[in-house]
Amino acid sequence: MTEKVSVTIDGAIIRAPKGLSILDAALDHGICIPHLCRVPAISDLGACRLCIVEHIQNGRSKVTTSCTLVVKEGMVIHSNTEKIKRLRRNIAELLVAEAPNSRAVQDVAMRCGVKEVRYPFRNNNCILCGRCVRICTGRLGEKAIGFVGRGMDRRVVAPFDLKSKLCRECGWCSDLCPMTMTPCGGPMHKGQERLCTNCESKQTSLDQMTGYCVACYFGKGFQCERHPERFTGIEE
Amino acid sequence: MNKIHSLDRLRNFRQGIIDQRKKFAATMIICGGTGCQASRSKDVIEAIQNELASQGLTEKVHVRATGCHGFCEQGPILVIEPGNIFYCHLTPEDAQEIVSKTIQKNEIIERLQYKDPVSGNRILTEAEIPFYRAQNRLLLSMNRLVNPGDIEDYIAIGGYSALGKTLAELSPDAVIQEITAAGLRGRGGGGFPTGKKWTETRNADGDEKYVICNADEGDPGAYMDRCVLEGNPHLVIEGMMIGAWAVGAFKGYIYVRNEYPLAVKNTRIAIQQARDLGILGENIFGSSFSFDIEIARGGGAFVCGESTALMASIEGKVGEPRAKDVHTAVDGLWHKPTTLNNVETWANVPAIIHNGSAWFAAMGSKGSKGTKILALTGHIKNTGLVEVEMGTTLNSVVFDIGGGSSDGKAVKAVQTGGPSGGCLPVDKFHLPVDFDELYAAGSMIGSGGFVVMGQNTCMVDVAKYFLTFLQDESCGKCVPCRLGIDRMLEIVTDITEGRGKPEQLDLLEELGATTSETSLCGLGKTAANPALSTLRYFREEYEAHIHNKKCPAGMCQALITYQIDSETCTACGACMTACPYKAITGEKKQIPTIQLELCQKCGICRSECKFESIQVN
Repeated sequence: MTEKVSVTIDGAIIRAPKGLSILDAALDHGICIPHLCRVPAISDLGACRLCIVEHIQNGRSKVTTSCTLVVKEGMVIHSNTEKIKRLRRNIAELLVAEAPNSRAVQDVAMRCGVKEVRYPFRNNNCILCGRCVRICTGRLGEKAIGFVGRGMDRRVVAPFDLKSKLCRECGWCSDLCPMTMTPCGGPMHKGQERLCTNCESKQTSLDQMTGYCVACYFGKGFQCERHPERFTGIEE
Repeated sequence: MNKIHSLDRLRNFRQGIIDQRKKFAATMIICGGTGCQASRSKDVIEAIQNELASQGLTEKVHVRATGCHGFCEQGPILVIEPGNIFYCHLTPEDAQEIVSKTIQKNEIIERLQYKDPVSGNRILTEAEIPFYRAQNRLLLSMNRLVNPGDIEDYIAIGGYSALGKTLAELSPDAVIQEITAAGLRGRGGGGFPTGKKWTETRNADGDEKYVICNADEGDPGAYMDRCVLEGNPHLVIEGMMIGAWAVGAFKGYIYVRNEYPLAVKNTRIAIQQARDLGILGENIFGSSFSFDIEIARGGGAFVCGESTALMASIEGKVGEPRAKDVHTAVDGLWHKPTTLNNVETWANVPAIIHNGSAWFAAMGSKGSKGTKILALTGHIKNTGLVEVEMGTTLNSVVFDIGGGSSDGKAVKAVQTGGPSGGCLPVDKFHLPVDFDELYAAGSMIGSGGFVVMGQNTCMVDVAKYFLTFLQDESCGKCVPCRLGIDRMLEIVTDITEGRGKPEQLDLLEELGATTSETSLCGLGKTAANPALSTLRYFREEYEAHIHNKKCPAGMCQALITYQIDSETCTACGACMTACPYKAITGEKKQIPTIQLELCQKCGICRSECKFESIQVN
């Protein structure tokens, strides 16, 4: 049996196996920390920054992503403070302004409490979460796609923009892509982008949302995989 | 060459060099740093050598081509010892006169002397120049003493004796204790206590450990690491060796930008010379310590100055940072414990070991010890590299050393710490050069860039400049940095182009705070500083752009119009001839008018006008 350590997440003392990330430990115990770029069982990137938590160390709080933070005996974590909620909302707002044409992104923005978008919409078709790249390199051991470019030029492509011979056409990359699910109202055209609030009506108390797992139906696969209809990969 | 196997051999070797050089009656020290090379110092050196040969003085006068002296603006620089005579702005044609007059007859050539821009007086010796006088040049002064391509120079001034002392007398723990007691903090920008970092690596598990020297300096306007590495590479190597002994590493890397060809070349020569003498290699000075250094060249990505991105780059991966929840001191290069320090930090180590921690701790302020090299640039009379004791006020740096504003008008602000730092207004100039004090004021020492700004600098434009730089240099891995900087730039661009809205200022502040709190690495965490600090201290300028659609400094092209002042205009017509767009029209000997629809606001007319009649509104 693997060794276990105790960590305190939002006041709950959790026994988690060594080597597990805080995000996994929290999800295992029904504490829902919003996340987007995470793929279960694949190395984490820390790209989307939605899963940020406050890590209290020597009386000082440090904001860090829970997916890259590995459990350690006696750790104290707050995943839902006012500060974290505010920061998370701002990040989700940046994301949804960049790519409103994804149900997963719209849902996560709604769950993080985004009520208005203060930036001009951009309607990009990639948010560089890297789920596709990591499944290809991390799980399948191929490198058919990867990141190229820096900063705003960063994008996911096959080597030299040619279809790679390494590609087995397994389709995992598109299965995992948050951009493949259009918003319920259908795709938004350029100039018509908006914050889709369809999910809001289904939710009882928005402010309590991120505090605990309510087995939500939103953006299935991109949120809490503890859900009964959890994301199951290829079969989905 | 005979290898130096023991400390006695090192002492004998040093004495041998000193004895051999007693024959020289004079030394001509010529700066061969990158700045001076750009003003033909190589030709000057060659001309002087030829001249000495033709006058038969080669055996009596020692010519030393050194690294940067710091006063790059005056280059090429020559210092003649004995006498400390300082000549500047040399050309190869001056060589004959210098050798026949100053060297042969001890006559001073007035035309080559330094002229103080503040008082207008000619100054004879280097020590009397105000620029140098107000400094405390612990590291930079050594640059004059050594030819970076000659290890004998470095050994002659006591080089590698601190390493000898370490290996013979000090245990690794004792070394760390000395560094901790000295209060040395990382010079790369973060100001992390060096002793603490070394302790972490020393205590980390594993036999395979590394030390890395970070010479991937990329801040616009900063070049202190370049000068230390170019001018005195052995100092850095010795520092790294002492650090390696302390943490238990046997391999080191110097990560230097490939855009610094001279630094790469000099470091490579230095490493080879040290290997030839057995200073790098197995069983150094007869001890159990073995160590070697390799050079890793960077491809010019700013983000590779970040420790984890730098290590990824050395490993041959894409230079992108990763989460640092576990310090690189424990999980670094190839997941081994790694101590990474900046060039300047390493360069401070030998002197601390040599003179003791108390000597070092006596310099500086409460929380920041020792000295710091700053790259002083901008609208200021004296520009160059300056080294000051920590705790020196910004006033002293800008006015005593820098000589004040270059155009005689008041100084508006100083931007410290490069793209990660912030802008401080004149009423904050009482603040000391100190890690914590500048951080509290919304800026930082950073790597040490000091850009002084005059009255016609638009602070919104400054924020836009740095955000553009950072947007370009962000690796794009994490959302707050990639999109946050981009959106901040979008807002600032809106403001400078007259589309700004009042609520955007609050959004800018909130977005800046989010980017600083949540970004993955140091680049993103500090990226908002230029915008946030200008917003904090110069909010009225932002408001003028938004509410009045005016740029008070007259820099933002979309918000200004050029006008001709009919009272001072002499109708000379210079502006009409100068305008490349033919936007200024008028009859001869009559005051011309600017056709606003043709005017591209390039400002050429303004710089051409001798009567300051072109006004910006």
